[in-house]
Amino acid sequence: MITHPIRRSPSKGLDLAIALAGAFAALLSFFLFGWLVWDLVRLGLPKLSWSFFSGEVEDAGRGGGIAPILVSTLGILACCLGLAIPLGTGCAIWLSEFVRRGSAWARLVASGVDLLAGVPSIVFGLFGMVFFAQTLGLGFSILSGGLTLACMILPLLVRTTLTALESLPADLRPAAAGLGLSKTTTTFRLLLPAALPGIVIGITLGVGRALSETAALLFTSGYSTRMPESFSDSGRALSVHIYDLALNVANGSAMASSSALVLLALILLVNSAAVALSEHWLRRRSSAS
Amino acid sequence: MNAAALHISGLSVSYRDLTALREVDLAIPEGQITALIGPSGCGKSSFLHALNRLTDLVPGCRVSGSIRLADGTEVTDPQTDVLALRRRVGIVFQRPNPFPQSIRRNFEIPLKEHGWAKSDIPDRIETVLREVGLWKEISDRLHQNASTLSGGQQQRLCLARALALEPEVILFDEPCSALDPLASGVVEDLILSLREKVTVVIVTHHLAQARRIADHAAVFWTRDGAGTLVEQGPAERVFSSPQDPDAILYLNGARG
Amino acid sequence: MASSRNISLSRCVDRVTGGVLALFALVSGGTVLLLLWNLFAGAWPAIEAGRLGAFFTDAKWQPGSQRDPQFGMVTMLAGSALVTVLAVALALPVGLASAIFHRFYAPPLLARWNRRIMELLIGVPSVIFGFWGLMVVVPAILRIAPGTPGQSLLAGGVVLALMILPLIALTSQAALQAVPSSLLQAAAGLGLGRARTIVSVALPAARGGITTGVFLGLARALGETMAVVLVCGNIPQIPGSLFDPIRPITSTIALEMGYATASHKALLFCAGLVLMLCTALLVGWISFRKNAANPGIGGA
Repeated sequence: MITHPIRRSPSKGLDLAIALAGAFAALLSFFLFGWLVWDLVRLGLPKLSWSFFSGEVEDAGRGGGIAPILVSTLGILACCLGLAIPLGTGCAIWLSEFVRRGSAWARLVASGVDLLAGVPSIVFGLFGMVFFAQTLGLGFSILSGGLTLACMILPLLVRTTLTALESLPADLRPAAAGLGLSKTTTTFRLLLPAALPGIVIGITLGVGRALSETAALLFTSGYSTRMPESFSDSGRALSVHIYDLALNVANGSAMASSSALVLLALILLVNSAAVALSEHWLRRRSSAS
Repeated sequence: MNAAALHISGLSVSYRDLTALREVDLAIPEGQITALIGPSGCGKSSFLHALNRLTDLVPGCRVSGSIRLADGTEVTDPQTDVLALRRRVGIVFQRPNPFPQSIRRNFEIPLKEHGWAKSDIPDRIETVLREVGLWKEISDRLHQNASTLSGGQQQRLCLARALALEPEVILFDEPCSALDPLASGVVEDLILSLREKVTVVIVTHHLAQARRIADHAAVFWTRDGAGTLVEQGPAERVFSSPQDPDAILYLNGARG
Repeated sequence: MASSRNISLSRCVDRVTGGVLALFALVSGGTVLLLLWNLFAGAWPAIEAGRLGAFFTDAKWQPGSQRDPQFGMVTMLAGSALVTVLAVALALPVGLASAIFHRFYAPPLLARWNRRIMELLIGVPSVIFGFWGLMVVVPAILRIAPGTPGQSLLAGGVVLALMILPLIALTSQAALQAVPSSLLQAAAGLGLGRARTIVSVALPAARGGITTGVFLGLARALGETMAVVLVCGNIPQIPGSLFDPIRPITSTIALEMGYATASHKALLFCAGLVLMLCTALLVGWISFRKNAANPGIGGA
């Protein structure tokens, strides 16, 4: 009788190799990012103080604080959200509730938004410079920068709102139709309140992206370090400030580290909020059903 | 025989290439309970949803033929105001589907939409909640989310919500099949209590239930790949001496 | 009491709402056309003057030179391509290995934290990566290879790799997670070991998703400005080694747009167009493959 020789655990060695390589890779990523954060804390923390947040920019950024920068950043963010939220949610509502899925117009709009999502941020910068700053005559201003960023985060908002609307319970729409509710009532009194958590998560992610953007702002909101007095003033965003200190200012790295630490903290805060919100929402949904 | 609340003639429903229902003629008597029975997939639900144009929500669904309300309004006419129609012909679905908002909002949204004065709304809510026997149970928590109610309570809420709009006809799409026997009995009693007040059309798989509550019965069956009506008449007659061979077997529990 | 509010009013309201929303949707979908139009308008003077050919034939990039203006973009195209490919080549093995670890080896708690940290890191601003690269990676390269400028192709590749690592790790994780468990059970039923299952069953099944992640990484790295402009040295040349400085297209635009005048500016817009074309091709290929994989799901 011929028996096949039983090979002893043929892939034991391979298994161990994959496990080790995987663990190494995971550790390496942890380590590298830990290093990055540690460096920013080490270099940036000593300069952090109340006067850093409240002071004017001095000596091209080598001294003083970042108060005007923070104000400009907030201004840019406000303009960005002011345009992007109505436009993005409106577009998503239209795609999901008001137009037949798969119709020519729906596809055209959806692919336009998808195309926009793939545009590099520096190209948004070029566009914003020509269109908002020059053609519309807004100049290098907080408004120009904010509107440019709005175009940039628009696809993200459309996508997340659309997902939120599409993942609503399927029997909500027939229930509303059975009561003879108009589309407007159904959408604004039923669907939007129910989809709000998803929309808020999308907006939070959008805020994160807008805060971290630099390239699109270089030629739209400008470099001015003065305290802005209106949306039509030029104002330097926090990310642009870091870039300028790192590239153009000799001995600017200490202040750049502090600014980077502040920006990183802001972003991590915003993004953890998004993660926490979505987990909270998921848990509530799964316990409700 | 009472006047017909709904007069249906030559009604066909199709989804893209698939014919779900072919050439149905039926008169729904006013103030009575009409049960639609038959095996799954024989077009009962398509028929029911055509009656208040919920078929509009299904992409690719086409309805032909005529459905007339008592006052002569043609349901299938594209010019007919579908929102007003759905106020007059309400529906309660298989699975309870309260809006995930407060119990009060569940009434306020449709009542406001159909023009009730704000000051009348609280009274209206109380009246219909009493009608479905929920008032005592939930009158102190109208502000709570409707999804915190039990399944049976939710279904009664949905019935109350439909009743609030003072419809002439209420359609029930297997209203008890998602409920436990106890809750199912409560809802069944409620449907019985509607007799004479509104016209009821109910789709049910539950033959014993149909036997208990129906004044009028209609048996649907699949013929040549499409659902059609094979037997109709007063419930007693249909159940005791059906004519159609398939209906005989089905009602005796041998098929379907 | 059962008044019917003039129901045609509701219909009117629906019309108006639908109209306003359609307008929003058209503006959203049309923004990309507006953007393209403006880029073309900006680039037109250069296209009209027939400079597009010079893009590829001129050897050097010295658009401001009075005596011998040259408009060769080849060095920058090469710079962009090299640094992008290097970044993905570095990030893919690490990201994929950590995704495999996450899916098949890590205990649940570790896996959850791994995922959460990656989700947070995907949002770290690129300017911070660039700044950290300048402070840490460049000096490290100087230590390894003394006598070189430090700011180099290698520095750019490493920094970009770090930046796209979370993206590649997360998409790979999602792809591995989406492998049907019935497939894995079938493998177990045949007595395949874990390693054999991963190599022969899971990875082939997840290949599509992983490839999508790679292309997203390529697109992101190609379009990135801040991380490269700070660490690549910004000398427009074909690098002879990993330690030579390069200058990607994005850096060129960021560095020169501030002071560029008429014809120079138009050329930078051409560069922007080229860049957009490249990323659009990458992104377009992803969605083309997705549609090919599950036809019938139209539009959104």
